[in-house]
Amino acid sequence: MAARQLYATAQRVEGLPIILVFLVLLGLFMYTAPEVFLAPYIYTTFLSTLPPLVLLAIGLTFVIGAGEIDLSFPAVISFSGFVFAVLFKQYGLGWIAAAAGLGSGLLVGFANGLLIARVGIPSFMATLATQFFWAGMATVLSGGKSYALRGAEQSSVWKALVGRLAGAPESMAWFNDVSVQAIWTALIAAFLWFVLNRHRFGEHVLFIGDSNAVARVVGIDVEREKIRLFTLMGGLAALAAMLLTLENKNFFGNQGQGYLLTAIASVLIGGTSIFGGRATIVGTVFGCFIIGMIEAGLVATGLTGAWVRTIQGLVFLVSIVFYLWVEEPQRVRAFLARGASFRLRRDSDQAGRAEWRAGQVIGQPEADRRKR
Amino acid sequence: MALSAGTSAERGEEHIVRLENVQKFFGAVQGLRDINLGIGRNEIVGLIGDNGAGKSTLIKVMTGVLRPSAGRIFVRGREIDAASYSVRQAHELSIETVYQDKSLAEKQPLWRNFFAGRQIVNRFGFIDVKKERAIAREMLLSSIGFRGAGITVDSTVSQLSGGERQGIAIGRAMHFNADLIVLDEPTAALAVSEVRKVLDFVRRIKASGRACVYIEHNLAHVHEVADRLVVLDRGAIVAEISPRAMSVAELTEYLIALQH
Amino acid sequence: MMRARRRLIGAAAAAMLAGAGTALAADAPGKGVTIYMQMGGNPGDGATLARQTGAAAAATALGVDKLNSQFSAWAPETMLQQFKEALAARPSCIVIMGHPGNDAFADLVKQAVDQGIVVTDGNSPLSELQKTYGSKGFGYAGVDLYAGGTLTAQRMIEAGHLKAGDEAMVYGVFSQAERGLSEKGLADTLEKAGLKVDRLEITQEANSDPSLAVPILAAYVQSHPRLKAIGTQHGGVTGVLEEVLKKAGKKPGEITVGGIDLAPATIDGLKSGYVSVTLDQLLYLQGFMPVLQCVLTAKYKMPGLSLNTGAGVVTPETIGPLIPLIEGGYR
Repeated sequence: MAARQLYATAQRVEGLPIILVFLVLLGLFMYTAPEVFLAPYIYTTFLSTLPPLVLLAIGLTFVIGAGEIDLSFPAVISFSGFVFAVLFKQYGLGWIAAAAGLGSGLLVGFANGLLIARVGIPSFMATLATQFFWAGMATVLSGGKSYALRGAEQSSVWKALVGRLAGAPESMAWFNDVSVQAIWTALIAAFLWFVLNRHRFGEHVLFIGDSNAVARVVGIDVEREKIRLFTLMGGLAALAAMLLTLENKNFFGNQGQGYLLTAIASVLIGGTSIFGGRATIVGTVFGCFIIGMIEAGLVATGLTGAWVRTIQGLVFLVSIVFYLWVEEPQRVRAFLARGASFRLRRDSDQAGRAEWRAGQVIGQPEADRRKR
Repeated sequence: MALSAGTSAERGEEHIVRLENVQKFFGAVQGLRDINLGIGRNEIVGLIGDNGAGKSTLIKVMTGVLRPSAGRIFVRGREIDAASYSVRQAHELSIETVYQDKSLAEKQPLWRNFFAGRQIVNRFGFIDVKKERAIAREMLLSSIGFRGAGITVDSTVSQLSGGERQGIAIGRAMHFNADLIVLDEPTAALAVSEVRKVLDFVRRIKASGRACVYIEHNLAHVHEVADRLVVLDRGAIVAEISPRAMSVAELTEYLIALQH
Repeated sequence: MMRARRRLIGAAAAAMLAGAGTALAADAPGKGVTIYMQMGGNPGDGATLARQTGAAAAATALGVDKLNSQFSAWAPETMLQQFKEALAARPSCIVIMGHPGNDAFADLVKQAVDQGIVVTDGNSPLSELQKTYGSKGFGYAGVDLYAGGTLTAQRMIEAGHLKAGDEAMVYGVFSQAERGLSEKGLADTLEKAGLKVDRLEITQEANSDPSLAVPILAAYVQSHPRLKAIGTQHGGVTGVLEEVLKKAGKKPGEITVGGIDLAPATIDGLKSGYVSVTLDQLLYLQGFMPVLQCVLTAKYKMPGLSLNTGAGVVTPETIGPLIPLIEGGYR
């Protein structure tokens, strides 16, 4: 029963399905575009463009794990990005700008939490509304203008948050291209993994996602935990906003819109259940890698942009079917069994007919005996 | 105000929980009316009545899920502040509730379900996973008595049968030394063999020196295990009956007569 | 034995033909050149298709090794990210568009040029970068944005007999540094002619998906009954203006419409008379020229060339012969 053993192992390694898909895709791109994927530069590039997506997706992992959704984070990318950029550039405030940027994100998240937990608006509606509100605020306050942060790389904020590593020998020149934000993001991801899987808060989040009623019954303060949850999301989104703004050395008037669906897709193909109660950070991180890698890989291979969506959709479908097999093998077995029983019926029909024919050939007495 | 959870016998108080003139309003609708009810230290009280009679509301008030609109609540003879009474406080006072379908989180493993809401944590809130799993494993084998059958502490609740789930929930309550275990329709929608298991668990509660309040629709079941039957109708207690005094058939007749 | 020998001769012949073919191809100017090109919007949309066709034609004609196209749905931060990905692939040349602005691109372009990659620009100008890196091949193939807007406005005034005191609305991306100059030129020119100009900003959503602008514009038109002119320099928006005016209950010519590009919907607009004037920025050339520039600089070290593709406008009278070309993706 190799299949059963395989299934048991698959359950034990967190995020295994998505890791496999990632490796397959990576191998594919290494084969079709070796000049790009067998050199270090594309990877150091990913390390400077993916961290914001990863932070957003990790926050969403908690939110979706709790059975909720947050649609307002693109607006935080705009709003917190603006707060940070304007204080950084206009007023030259460095670390205070960073603190203000983070604070603005926490504020938006906290407000979301209040609307959802205390007022009782479903998270889909509440965060959809606040998305428009805060994005609008960003546009109103910024006048729709973009802010260039020329010379930002001189500041300590830039160096600390997205600076490049240094000190590697000539042979490892790519090391000096690695952006520190990748390291911060890895540390945050590791820490939040522990929070989700080994901390009381993480367990509360999963129970709330499993069933609000059960969570209340076992004594979890559902309202308070939800407020904390959305505040966390707001904080992570603000951090993502600052990394993005610093890396581009530019605040763009409407930055962040493109992240909405990619972040949610990364979480779902990573294996976190949309129904809540089951969440994986490892899966989410690899989901981000895949989503971030597909477009660059397809372009390097020479396929036109039209294929990108199709392939992303295919990856999505393959992952979801895989999860079905891993999480609910009985559904797959039932489906296969239906096919088997059909074959059985057909075979037994044929056997019956063959027997009758045999009776004819052998002779009457045989058939008479059977009738009795 | 937290009371220490000493054994009931030490206190010398007759009732573990007593509700005095408790009322509960939901807006204009009165859910509970003039409730005066005491639960003895080591008895099984069956709570019966028609749908909407207020049985669920009564136990929710008793266990801190809902706050009473008026009236007093006494635990082990000491009055508690009804306005701040919560589930967590009830747990601290050793009162636990087992719901038919709301006690356990379906997708979570058993070891998490055992400790939900009262995890073993360090100073920063990080759970001692190894310890929890060890205790859960022991609980699984000894007090609840699952042996083999492929159920481990990592199994999710969705892999258990209805009766097994009730067993887990009741075992959890007993492990945390609950002096009063409230059961909300534990045998609804269960197969016959499963029902047997649940009634055995209920008897075990009394055998271990604890008290139990047991809501039930099926008169035969509750008649079998209860020491005392309390009948609710439209939010008020209308009768208290001893099962020895009435058979199931007579009980049924009585309840139907109540409706007119 | 006979069969084996025949097969061997056949194989040798095929190898020789292939060799001859490669020898011919070895003369192609684009051999050894790989290009990453930012196309701008979404594959196949009105303002992008002709550019794709032009670029592909140039790549084939010149025998370029590889042309990798990137699509960013007009989002500047995506363009920056895709530039970084292009950089990592170490191509011979990267073609960009000016939407993110000189400041945002400065360091990235410097990095690319330092690594020996040719960088050139199309559709939206980056004048500062062009001054700095022109000798390294940084050219521009596109409209002089402000002048293009001005030209459009002038033709609008002629076509619609607009006069001082008339109400006009200009719908554009005023917030983007250089790209916003188009609509600015349009609006300024109308204002100079004495019209009352209301400037409306296109949101990011409508920028990527112009159909979202329809209800906004229809509402505006209906709430401004004395509106005489609508101007824009967004290709997608130009395409939806016929629908907008029909929804607002206007007849062709009641409002003078000035736009840009020749999207299929714009062609209908011209034919029906709803669109009065559209600036033709010869998108085909904006695709063709940068690829040519790449090859000329990568192989022959030529400096960056400037080509103003905003040569004129198309009106309902002149649209006819262009239709088959537009449908083929050439105009």
